Order: sequence, then structure tokens, then C-alpha cells
Amino acid sequence: MAETPSRRLFVEMLREEFRLHARLFGGRRFAAFPLFVALVGAGTVWLLERAGTDLGGAIAGFHALVFAFGLHTGSIGLVGRDAMRDLLGDVTLLVFTARTLPLSRRRLLGIFLVKDAVYYAALFLAPLSVAFAVGGLGLRVALLWATITGTFLLGIAVTMAAIALSTRGVSGWVVVLALAAAVGLGWTTSFDPVGFTPYAVYESPGVGSVVRAVVPIVGLSLLGIATYDATTTSPSRTAESAFEAWHERLSFDEDGLVTKSLLDVARSSGGFTKVPFSAGILFLVSVGMVDLAGSLTGVDPSIAVSMGAILGLTAFTTYNWLTQFDALGVYLLYPISHAAVFRAKFRAFMVLGLPTALGYFAIAVAWRGGRVGEIVVGAVLLVGLHLYLFGLTVYLAGFRPNEFLFDTVLFAVFTVAVAVGLVPVLIVGLVVAPIDVIAMAALVALAVILGSVGVGLYRRAIPRWSRRYRTE
Amino acid sequence: MTAIRTQNLRKTYGDVTALADLSLSVEAGELFALLGPNGAGKTTTIEILTGQLVPDEGTVDVLGTDPTTDPVETRRRVGILPEKESPPSFMTPWEYFDFVGTVRGLDSATVRERVETWADRLSYREKLDTLNTDLSRGQQQKVMITQAFLHEPDLVFIDEPLANLDPIVQERVKRFFTSYRDDGNTLFLSTHDIDVAEEICTRVGIVSEGRLVGERVPADLGREESLLDTFLDSVGGSIEATAGATD
Repeated sequence: MAETPSRRLFVEMLREEFRLHARLFGGRRFAAFPLFVALVGAGTVWLLERAGTDLGGAIAGFHALVFAFGLHTGSIGLVGRDAMRDLLGDVTLLVFTARTLPLSRRRLLGIFLVKDAVYYAALFLAPLSVAFAVGGLGLRVALLWATITGTFLLGIAVTMAAIALSTRGVSGWVVVLALAAAVGLGWTTSFDPVGFTPYAVYESPGVGSVVRAVVPIVGLSLLGIATYDATTTSPSRTAESAFEAWHERLSFDEDGLVTKSLLDVARSSGGFTKVPFSAGILFLVSVGMVDLAGSLTGVDPSIAVSMGAILGLTAFTTYNWLTQFDALGVYLLYPISHAAVFRAKFRAFMVLGLPTALGYFAIAVAWRGGRVGEIVVGAVLLVGLHLYLFGLTVYLAGFRPNEFLFDTVLFAVFTVAVAVGLVPVLIVGLVVAPIDVIAMAALVALAVILGSVGVGLYRRAIPRWSRRYRTE
Repeated sequence: MTAIRTQNLRKTYGDVTALADLSLSVEAGELFALLGPNGAGKTTTIEILTGQLVPDEGTVDVLGTDPTTDPVETRRRVGILPEKESPPSFMTPWEYFDFVGTVRGLDSATVRERVETWADRLSYREKLDTLNTDLSRGQQQKVMITQAFLHEPDLVFIDEPLANLDPIVQERVKRFFTSYRDDGNTLFLSTHDIDVAEEICTRVGIVSEGRLVGERVPADLGREESLLDTFLDSVGGSIEATAGATD
């Protein structure tokens, strides 16, 4: 077959994506990631089955997660080179070559999206689907792979259409809001939007459901490609100088590094709200999980202990936000040690992350109630696990917590280390409730130990990463 | 007085040797340029001299400090203008300079006065409240030049200083470098630009494959000589393209 520019571009983009991931996420170890995904997925399905969970509910949740993953993935290639640089460093992708090669931006975008679909369908979605074979799905695993790939594409198409329309100014935003309102309005009436997604194909395969699922994907993709205005530019943003005022308020911040970290989060897209937003997702998921556990076990779970433990996990996303907008190398222009930078991130983390997690904890116990003793224990657990997660993340990933999500070995170590701290607490909170005084004392002791281990790991991380960053 | 002295510096990245055996010395009050082809080891040299990297072997002395063992003290004493680094995306230039001033222990009034002088010198006063991410590459370079000189250090390390600047600003920057040296300060330039090195530098070191392979004082060049010829002789290069040649 003769090689066309589009075909060549597609192949090169696939290669580029693999090299990017391999470079960012553990070199050749990245190649083992699909196997690891399959093993973890199979283990999860097995555990769910053993716990008597309805596999149908798990598959519905799986589609929802993949849809969210698609929404996120669709945004990465479209948000522009500057945002990519903040996230990934000095990286130029083929999708940005319209300025130097005789290729239209629309064509590049179209091929980029097809590449994403093929790449993620093969490397991530296939092993995840295979994991469900443990649940006895048989040949339906192939159907599951097809429908989650379709769901992933739907997520990308929604993001792509929204971003493309936004390049058309107010009129584009009006269309976005109108489409969202139509879906929302339909939902409140007899219209079922889920019937127009690939999940409906999994539920009831047939020509009709396939057509209904394909039309939105194709329609939104075409809408995105047709409306994307490559010439759009956003106006320069200005701001009143806020550094001095913030710095004065943060009296403990002698060198200004905490102020800078907080300004970075506040000024980037989403502002400070992205911190409670990402924690809010975990909050909602954990509320559902606790309810599900209660219905499965027949035990009335301890909301305070369970939620305290789970909300400790928000430490990871908060630290991720705090390290998203700078690299450690940036600070080496000034008389600042690596230790000072890590210390500033820790302080900024305590300013942003802990109040957010405790806020959601307060909402949870106000909403669902709890015994006073368990509430105190839950709060102590939250602080302990929060510090543990922070220390663990800094020790394993240094200044780039995103990295180990796809680094097979690091991710495995992280998963096991989190499970060691979290699982015993969850068993007590979900299965042993109501919790007696002795168990409460044991949980408090565990929280103190975990918090101390976290602080210890954070302290050990400083010389570890300082040495590494100065010799590589 | 010696501002910079290195002896037998060696640095490797895996199989790649960035510095093989670099020894050099720069006296206080010099405007010294390290000239070399791509990959010769210029940026690695600056990163070692400023304590950002630790050499595998060799010794370093910068203004009486050892950047290998006390990088913070070295960086307190010097200014650094890196080749690639941009100012923080989500700060405005004003905020960035307030931050740099805080880190370097300058009071607000001094920061304000010096920033205004620099903003006028480099013609970007109207951009002081714009987010750095929305500045052009040239404007970002002006911001980075300002931060390197904000504390008026005795020694400044400068990697490709004129990149992305328009000709008028380039000329102003070159004149400033010369006047800064005339005031008794030391500048250490890393550059590919032979014309700039010949025009403003008091001494040029030529580096190739991680070694210092030649040194010239531009003022001593004869009428028939050029720094380009010296450079080509030193690195064994030719301006004629040859099969298999790389940049």
C-alpha cells in the first residue's frame, strides 16, 4: 500500500506517544504497564466477586470511569503548547506542527484523535477488559472492549467539540451551553442519554443500539473538526501584583516559596477551586463505596472512620496540583536549596490540602452522622494518612508525582504501600463497626505511626532527590 | 583576583561525555566568553559552576566558594541567566521580581527602582502586569535578564544572552554588559555567536568535546585574523558542508 502523509503521520504519532510515555514513566518498564493493569484489574474483579458485588454494577462504573478518562485525554492535545510545556516540560508534539509543515490543523487533530483511540484501546483498555474475564464474561469480553473503547472515544469527542466551539467565542459557548442544557433537560424528562452511549450496546447489543451509540461519537467529532478555529488566540492576561500582599499574610514563609506555590495554583486554569473539585470527586466516590459496602456486608459502617481514611487519599491530588506548574530545576537559579523547595511544598500542602480534606470530612459526618469518639478517631486517621500519603509520594516520585502513575514498578510499590496503610483501617471502619474503645485506641496509634512514617519518608526524600537531581 | 577556576572537570551522562577534562580560569573584571559548537559542554560547564550539577571529577572555585559542596552560597553571590528557562508561567514580571527580591534578600524599594530601570532599558514596562505565560519569547528573555542582574552580583553567568531579542535591545544589552564589566564586575558568557564574542568580550575560551582547545584575546587579533578562523582551527571544523557532517 502506498504511504500517504496521513498514514505516515498516524504511525509517527503512535511512535511519539509511546516514546513520550516511556520517557516520562519509567523507560522500558512502561512496556510492562499493560500487563500490570491486567493483573490489578483481574485482582479487583476477583475481590469484587468474592465480596458478592454485582458485576453488572462494576461494569457500569467501569464505563463511567473510562468516559471520564476520555474527557481528560481529549483535552491534553487541544489545550495548546504552553499548557503542555507546564505539564511535561519542553516538549513539542507532532500535533503542533501545523505552523511548520504543509498540514492543516484540522487534519492533524483528526489523526491525533484516531491515534489516541488506537493507542489507548490497545495499551490500556484491552488489558482492563481482559481482566473482566475473571468474572466469567467469556466472549462478552470482546464486546466489553468494543464498548469501552467507544465510551473512551465519546469522552474525547465531547471534550473536542466543547473546546472547538469555545474557539468561536460567545456564539460557540452558547452552543455548548445549549447542548448541555438539552441533555440535562432530557435527563429530567423521559429521555435517557445513556441509551445513546456505547454502554447501551453492552447492555443490549443490536443494530439499533449500535447506531444510537455511533451517531453522537461521529457527530460530535465532525462538529469539533468543523468548528475548530485554529487562528483563535486568547488575549494576554494581566493581574495586579499580589506576591507581596500574600507573602505578608503567610508570616511563616520567609523565603517566599510557599507564596509562589500558592500563586501558581491560584492563577492556573481552575484556580484554587480545582483542589476541592478533585477532592470532591473522591468524596462522592467514597460516599458511594461506603454505602455499597454497608449494603453488601449488612453492617452499618462507621462513616467517620471510613471517610477519614479514604479522604486521606486526597493528599496525592493536592501534591500533584502543587507540583504541576514548576520543576525543581527552576529554583536552581537562586540561592535556594532543594530542601527549602520541598519544605515549601510541604507547607503549601498543609495550607491547601489538609483543610480541604477536613472540610469534606466535616461535610460527611454532618450529613451521615457518627459517634463523637469515632469522629475524633476519623479526623486523626485523616491527618495521619494524609501525611503518610504525602511522604510516600514525595519519597517515591520526588517532584513529579504524575510519573509513577504509569511507571510499573513505582506504581506497584505505591499501591502496596497505600494498601498497607488503608486496608486495615477500612476493614475496621466498614466491617467491624460499631468500633469499641480498644479498636479506637489501636486506630489512633496506627494513625500516629502512619503520620510519623510519612514525615520520616518526606525527610528522607530530600537528600535522596537532591542527590539525584544534582547528578543527572 | 581569580573569579572562576576549574581543574580537570569531568562530567558524563551515561555513555555521553559532556566534559572530558576542562580546566579554565577567569579573572575578576573579565568579560569572558566560552565559545563552542553544539554539544561541546558549554551549558554543562555553567551548570557545574553554579552548583546545579555535580561533576564526576575535578575541582571548582567560584568567588572563593565551592559550588559542589555549597551551591546555595555560590548562587547567593552570582547571577544566572540560563539558556532555556522561562519565568514562572503564572506570575507577572512584577510578582516574579518581588519573589526573586525576597529570595535574594532585597527590600521592596530597591527591587522597584531596579526593575523600573531594567524595564526602561529593555523596553517592556507596559508588560510588567502581564502573566509571564502570555509574554512573547523575547519579552520572557528580557524578564530573565532582569532577574539575573537584580541583585547586582559581582559575577553573572549568561547562556546565549541575545536569543529572541530584537536588534535594538541586543545592542543595549551588549552595551550594558560592557559597562557592567567596566564597573569591575565579571561576566561569563556561553555563546555560539562569534561576532558577539569578538565584539564585546575581553577573552574567549574555545571548547570542543568537553575540553578547552584554545584561548584568544579579541583585542589582540591581527588585521588579517578573525575569531572565526581561530575557532575553526581550534575545533577542526570547516564552514564547507561535508558528507556525514553534523551541526
